[in-house]
Amino acid sequence: MKGFLNKLPEQAIRVIVVFLVLAAGVFVIRQFIIPPEMKEPTLQKLSSMEREADKEVKYAGAQACGPCHEKQHDIKKTGYHRDLSCESCHGAAQKHADNPTDVKPTSPQKRDYCSYCHTYNSSRPTGFPQINPDTHNPRKPCITCHDPHNPKPPQTPRSCTACHAQIERTKAASYHALLGCTVCHSTPEKHKLSPRTVTPTKPDTREFCGKCHDKASPGKGVPAVDMNAHGEKYVCWQCHYPHMLGGI
Amino acid sequence: MEAVQNFMELSQQVVGFIYPNEIEIHWSILIVVYPYITGLVAGAFILASLVKVFNVKELQPTYRLALLTALAFLLIAPLPLQLHLGRPERSYEMFMTPNLTSAMAMFGFVYLWYLMSVLLLEIWFEYRRDMIVWSGEATGLKKWTLKVLSLFSTDISEKAVAFDKKTVKVITVIGIPSAFLLHGYVGFIFGSIKANPWWSSVMMPVVFLFSAIVSGIAIVMLLYMIIMPLRGGKIDMKCLDKVASFLFYAVIVDFSIEVLDFIHRLYESEESIKILSQLVTTKLFMSLVVLQILLGMLLPLGIMVVIKVFKLQEELRRLLYFVCAVLIQMGIFSTRWNVVIGGQLFSKSFRGLTTYKMELMGIEGFLVALTLLILPFVILSILIKLLPPWKREELAGN
Ligand code: HEC
Ligand code: HEC
Ligand code: HEC
Ligand code: HEC
Ligand code: HEC
Ligand code: HEC
Ligand code: HEC
Ligand code: HEC
Repeated sequence: MKGFLNKLPEQAIRVIVVFLVLAAGVFVIRQFIIPPEMKEPTLQKLSSMEREADKEVKYAGAQACGPCHEKQHDIKKTGYHRDLSCESCHGAAQKHADNPTDVKPTSPQKRDYCSYCHTYNSSRPTGFPQINPDTHNPRKPCITCHDPHNPKPPQTPRSCTACHAQIERTKAASYHALLGCTVCHSTPEKHKLSPRTVTPTKPDTREFCGKCHDKASPGKGVPAVDMNAHGEKYVCWQCHYPHMLGGI
Repeated sequence: MEAVQNFMELSQQVVGFIYPNEIEIHWSILIVVYPYITGLVAGAFILASLVKVFNVKELQPTYRLALLTALAFLLIAPLPLQLHLGRPERSYEMFMTPNLTSAMAMFGFVYLWYLMSVLLLEIWFEYRRDMIVWSGEATGLKKWTLKVLSLFSTDISEKAVAFDKKTVKVITVIGIPSAFLLHGYVGFIFGSIKANPWWSSVMMPVVFLFSAIVSGIAIVMLLYMIIMPLRGGKIDMKCLDKVASFLFYAVIVDFSIEVLDFIHRLYESEESIKILSQLVTTKLFMSLVVLQILLGMLLPLGIMVVIKVFKLQEELRRLLYFVCAVLIQMGIFSTRWNVVIGGQLFSKSFRGLTTYKMELMGIEGFLVALTLLILPFVILSILIKLLPPWKREELAGN
């Protein structure tokens, strides 16, 4: 060992010393300065779990309210709002569930609260009930006509617009503006009450459009095409989306 | 308020459908600068290793310059990342509490290894004898700086110098795979992002590596052509021709690999191919097709073919080399841009594109990026003052 060290040129020893000093520095910092939980992932996890578990529980959860508020729970269960949790309207209510007499949750009575979910917005899914709050019975609180726990409309909606506003708007600007929805979709009245269980028909063959557009028997003032050649084997709405004929 | 306004402006540039969190681009120009700089480091080092390991004698005049260039850029390389992440003062913790499962965290060690065990060591052994001699000649601050830098070593016997030479060679041999690792790793970090079809490719490390070699050789060539006359020396045409021919081959390899990657993607035609071709033909047309491929690769290749075929005279050759090297730098910078920014311009739904709007002043802005690109040259000029790459006899032209 001694012989080996002697054989090393002096510059090599200097470099080695520098590296040893750096290594010692790292060792000291790791050993004495960095707190242990930063080095040990399991400790890190444990402490963050403790931290999370220590947080105050604010929401009681969807199941908590039923036992004390049977009435609301039962009517909501079958209504349109069945998928909403009580606390999405009444706010965090764990404190109320723990101590119902002293702490009362809030109830959103103003129009703007219902509008969060029901204002017309084209990104909402097909058929989601949407209204324009400026024109839909303005100024009156929604809850005067709709029970928030069972928001059945007081009367069956007359037009499809109530739930298909997006389609109605684009159709109004299309060549088919003058055709009613029911020309192409025969719609059972029940659809307006339980739209997901009773659905209207949709055109499913080329011949359907051909009723009006076939060259062989053209309707009056209706542009006609040769049904055998035009558009080959594809259904017509692969090229002409019927609610929106702005393009072709 | 400004953020909202900014967002509204961006959202008007969006084409097609895009998720809300994709409208604004988060890896900005700083992340473009970062692989560009590390690429220069790796490339410059590879050029230096040609002299020591492969014994390409003609390149000797660029050897030390290449090493100093690599060091100057390596010192700045982490800065863009630290500015981008914020809290640079915490970056040392990455070394203190290693996270073995994070590719990005492990890169810190690759960087550290390359800086401490390769570049600094090689430069130190290469310059040790000279530093001792120069510190004897100098006075004042310079004398002491050199003394400290040489770690107060004093032995300039033949045996000691021979040891230095041998060590330099060993370090260079280790250094080549390390340089490959350094820049291949940057490519790996992008290439291993599964969710992004523009990045996710096993070719990524290889593409990065060869573009790094191209840019590194080109930057040393440029620096050599600029600094040599400034220091009163004469450009060694034999050396320059050799550098240029290595550059030529490197560009060819780089180009073929990129074309291969491209063809591979086209043939595989995964579901992302539509949006990617839309990306290339619209948002990236200027920076990819025009800047990177036409101006940054094909034009320099053409020029170098002309130089080789027509045996042009010295003056003209020098001018054309200069033009080539500048074009290539621009091309490689566009490459980095196209990878980093391009990869964030399309939606993961494959149905829309967004736009990158560069800030001017902010911490992620153009001015900061420009400063980061200038800083290495400032460091290099200090390094050259302190550790001249050429001796007086060499400058005199021998
Ligand atoms: C332990 C039984 C209990 C539970 C659990 C409970 N409540 Fe109550 N809640 C009460 C009582 C008692 C009242 C007071 C009735 C009164 O004062 O007329 C009340 C009143 C209310 C009121 C009316 C407040 C007012 O201003 O009149 C609302 C709203 C309410 N609870 C919502 C909830 C919600 C939402 C939950 C579930 C997170 C819930 N409660 C859970 C017992 C309970
Ligand atoms: C769509 C929002 C909404 C949901 C969901 C909802 N509530 Fe209500 N709730 C209201 C509104 C609004 C009022 C106030 C009615 C009023 O003032 O006439 C109210 C009133 C109440 C009251 C006060 C007594 C009454 O009927 O006026 C209780 C108790 C109550 N809700 C319990 C519940 C429970 C329990 C649930 C879950 C099963 C629930 N609510 C779900 C909006 C909601
Ligand atoms: C958290 C979102 C949310 C809020 C807040 C909300 N609703 Fe609803 N509402 C829904 C959902 C979900 C449906 C069910 C839609 C479906 O069946 O597809 C619905 C259905 C309805 C319907 C549908 C009736 C139909 O014929 O389809 C009416 C009316 C209604 N809500 C009124 C209200 C009123 C009034 C309020 C305010 C007290 C309110 N909603 C608050 C989500 C909300
Ligand atoms: C004056 C009573 C009244 C008020 C106030 C009122 N609505 Fe209605 N709402 C109705 C009637 C009636 C219908 C069904 C007829 C129609 O299509 O207009 C309806 C339909 C709806 C529908 C469409 C669901 C469907 O089946 O067509 C939604 C959603 C709705 N209301 C939400 C609201 C909201 C949210 C508010 C408060 C901003 C509100 N309503 C205020 C009477 C009212
Ligand atoms: C109370 C709200 C409501 C009203 C009013 C309404 N719809 Fe719907 N409609 C829906 C919902 C919700 C769906 C989506 C059903 C689903 O996706 O399962 C739907 C779906 C449809 C579909 C597509 C069915 C399918 O199989 O994809 C057609 C067509 C349709 N409605 C036509 C109409 C027409 C025509 C009218 C007017 C005469 C109308 N709807 C009135 C809520 C409504
Ligand atoms: C000229 C005939 C025609 C008219 C008029 C028409 N539709 Fe349609 N509708 C179609 C066809 C065709 C489809 C597509 C069927 C398919 O894709 O399988 C369709 C699909 C739909 C769908 C389901 C797909 C979707 O886009 O969400 C709904 C809902 C719908 N129509 C509602 C309406 C409503 C509401 C109106 C009136 C405002 C209307 N349609 C008028 C022909 C028509
Ligand atoms: C009840 C008859 C009727 C049916 C069914 C019908 N259309 Fe039409 N369509 C018309 C009429 C009428 C016009 C012309 C409106 C105008 O020009 O004012 C028209 C216009 C058009 C046009 C525009 C032609 C132009 O001038 O460029 C297209 C495309 C079209 N329909 C496609 C369809 C498709 C696809 C279907 C099947 C889903 C369909 N139509 C079903 C009556 C019908
Ligand atoms: C492959 C796409 C495609 C399909 C499928 C298709 N069309 Fe067309 N259609 C077009 C194009 C493109 C035009 C406009 C150019 C033209 O006039 O030929 C057009 C034009 C029309 C016109 C206007 C003709 C005029 O004289 O202005 C009508 C009406 C029409 N189509 C109806 C239909 C009907 C009905 C079907 C189904 C039987 C159908 N199309 C299927 C592509 C298609």
